[in-house]
Amino acid sequence: MPLTFHHHQLENGLDIIAETNPDSHSIAVGMFVGTGARDEEVIINGVSHFLEHMMFKGSEKYTWEDVNRIFDEMGARYNASTSQEMTAYYANVLPEFTDQAVEHLAHLLRPAIRPGDFTTEKKVILEEIASYLDDPGHRLYEIAMAEHFGTHPLSQSILGSAESVQKLECNQMTQYFTRRYGPGNMVLAATGRVDFPQFIKIAQKFCGSWHRVDAPRHHPQPVHQNRRRTLVDPKLNRQYIMGFTPGPSAQDERRFAASVLADVIGDSEGSRFYWALVDNAIAEEADFGFYPHDRCGSYYLSLICDPDRTDEAIDIALRELEKVKHDLTPDEVERAKNKIASSIVLQGEVPLGRMRAIGGQWIYNKEYRSLEQDLATLMAITPQSLQSLMRDFPFDPMTIVELGPRPAKES
Amino acid sequence: MPERYYQYTLPNGLTLLGEKMPGMQSAAMTLLVPAGAAVDLQGASGTATVLSDLVLRGAGERDSRQLTDYLDSLGLQRSSSAGVHHTRFTAAALAERVIEALPTYLDIVRRPHLPEPGFQAARDLTLQGLEGIEDEPRQKVLIKLRERYFPWPYGRNTMGEPEDLEALTLEICKSQLQKHYHANGSILAIAGNIDFDSFRHEAEKLFGDWPAAPEQPDTTAPAPLGVHHVEHPSEQTHIGLAWPSLEEIHPDYYVLRLAMEVLSGGMSGRLFTEVREKRGLVYNVWAGYTSLKGFGSIMGYAGTSNDRAQATLDTFIDEIYRLSEGVTAAELDRAKIGLKAATIMQGESTSSRSGSIAHDFFMRGRIRTLDEIKKGIDDVKLDQVNQFLKTNKPGPFTIVTVGPKPLKTPCSATCMPCT
Repeated sequence: MPLTFHHHQLENGLDIIAETNPDSHSIAVGMFVGTGARDEEVIINGVSHFLEHMMFKGSEKYTWEDVNRIFDEMGARYNASTSQEMTAYYANVLPEFTDQAVEHLAHLLRPAIRPGDFTTEKKVILEEIASYLDDPGHRLYEIAMAEHFGTHPLSQSILGSAESVQKLECNQMTQYFTRRYGPGNMVLAATGRVDFPQFIKIAQKFCGSWHRVDAPRHHPQPVHQNRRRTLVDPKLNRQYIMGFTPGPSAQDERRFAASVLADVIGDSEGSRFYWALVDNAIAEEADFGFYPHDRCGSYYLSLICDPDRTDEAIDIALRELEKVKHDLTPDEVERAKNKIASSIVLQGEVPLGRMRAIGGQWIYNKEYRSLEQDLATLMAITPQSLQSLMRDFPFDPMTIVELGPRPAKES
Repeated sequence: MPERYYQYTLPNGLTLLGEKMPGMQSAAMTLLVPAGAAVDLQGASGTATVLSDLVLRGAGERDSRQLTDYLDSLGLQRSSSAGVHHTRFTAAALAERVIEALPTYLDIVRRPHLPEPGFQAARDLTLQGLEGIEDEPRQKVLIKLRERYFPWPYGRNTMGEPEDLEALTLEICKSQLQKHYHANGSILAIAGNIDFDSFRHEAEKLFGDWPAAPEQPDTTAPAPLGVHHVEHPSEQTHIGLAWPSLEEIHPDYYVLRLAMEVLSGGMSGRLFTEVREKRGLVYNVWAGYTSLKGFGSIMGYAGTSNDRAQATLDTFIDEIYRLSEGVTAAELDRAKIGLKAATIMQGESTSSRSGSIAHDFFMRGRIRTLDEIKKGIDDVKLDQVNQFLKTNKPGPFTIVTVGPKPLKTPCSATCMPCT
């Protein structure tokens, strides 16, 4: 695939990047913003995500009906997402709509935040929060993150609570927007059949006048300790368990090894957790994954099992985490690398997948990595790299939280 | 057929399908075996799902661990699951690795070991999955809706019923495998960086002597239909609804798809606009075409707070009815470009293409080329859509709700097409 990388910076600091592929049938374009729940003050928790919704409610020029209609007139596949650290807005369109898509994204990112729309959308956000309360996996994730990160800002919920969202006011959102959505804290990324000079021209026309704003982020060091917590919900049938333990950050070179290690331990098939827990039906799900953040990082473990077998399942998982430090084999490392290599290749064939990868990478590291670089780094990983990684991050301390019908034990 | 596509049925009834995708390094395989949940014996529901796990627990020369390790060493991104009509195996990776895996997939469908401990575990996992659904009302409502809406056995939960699974034996699994894992009716589709000649050569060598088996006659029982409430202590009320429509092979199929796109296509779709954007009643609302062979249908979902559930259901149904009044030229234009763009973008993923060509063959006996789909969409005229909507009024609805309280349904909604 003849992929080429391009970069340009507007005077106001907005980075414009593209990975062009003349063989593609579409282009994907996205605006990535280095802001999320961790950048919120506690009293406005949920504002990043709510603001992401409000972007679709129109600018000075457009109403919410225009925003959706114009995207649909291009046949765009478009959406947005908010995490603790990043908010992204993106569209996948046919190449002939590139200019329009970039222009429209630029309008989207300068929202009017009208009080009437704010009130209506608040109801939608409250429905979204309610819908996640009917999803035990998501509920547990938020509780376990909060427990693991304690007073660190990564403990903050992405959606916020019904109470915090209910109290949120329009002007608080506008202030947050002004503070965080500076062009220096954003990157406009495109992949697929992109004409880069033209892309810059359109970006300059519609984003060139945005004011430069500094949007620094605080980086307190998280303080972790071993914690166990049980939340009882007698309405549930299954026991949901989630654990977090420190791992390398999104900037750390060891992050590639961490992905391989996580795959060896807890991929959904063929991993150590699979054979120790799922193959024999002790747990219905047993995953171990790597979750890098901005200048810190985590591994997570996630189990779903019969309430009666909770202790057994957790013990086995923890034993496996100890065991792998001593008996890691070259074969399992190779298999994990091959699986990850396939997913990199498959993702690279779809513009939307690549756009997310290069945009996210830029927000975290101001760096472009080609598919070839990623594959070469991956293939150079050895069992020794994983062993050294486990000495640096020995799965200790660990936070474990469970949610389910099982009564809490006295601790 | 242009040389991008390939279709060939072996004398034993196995169909090979291919789509060559320039610029791709990967390939994706979809293998469909006519052993879906619809062929599960009465009292043995869930067999197909258990088998879809069990066949991977050792096959041919390899035991369970060797088999998994081997497929992992090829770097395959894979899955196996039972649907209504078929059990489906998928695998995607660098193209040569997928071809390399074909002999192993032959072992999986023809020479699985079916060990007793593996059977117990596969059955346990299915039972656990069923219990998990009780914790997720959003999934539960769609399962319950299918049960009420489709005639038996097409509507039943592919995971089975707990009491059937408790009573299931390895012998039943073995006999079902014998009866339904066979060449005729199976489809092996590959899309991506492939060479048809070598694919066909390899597939014929491997699968050419896979026996055919007699087709089993269909036995069906009518669907319960109507309105049904499942009490559940959930935060939201989850609403599922369905009504009958055209089959995929109907000449007006693209007309219907475009009309549904107007109802629930992008964010300017009517449901999103009226139920979510204007009234803020929901976070999630959608309706879309669902295809089972012999039953073209529309299914929809909305999830909302319990005190706003009645208003949501009423608005949801009103919007569906309003379609009969027709759509505007601008709405149809958006629907066309949306559906066409989605088709082209889907053409960029080997995994979605291998699934689509297999589905096309099962439904139509042939592959639709991307150009044919685009033309089908382009050819639809506004008056055709509006005539169609006028004469094909939606209904009768089957409605299932999961939540603390039942809702009132306008009686006209469940009678034969509403007036």
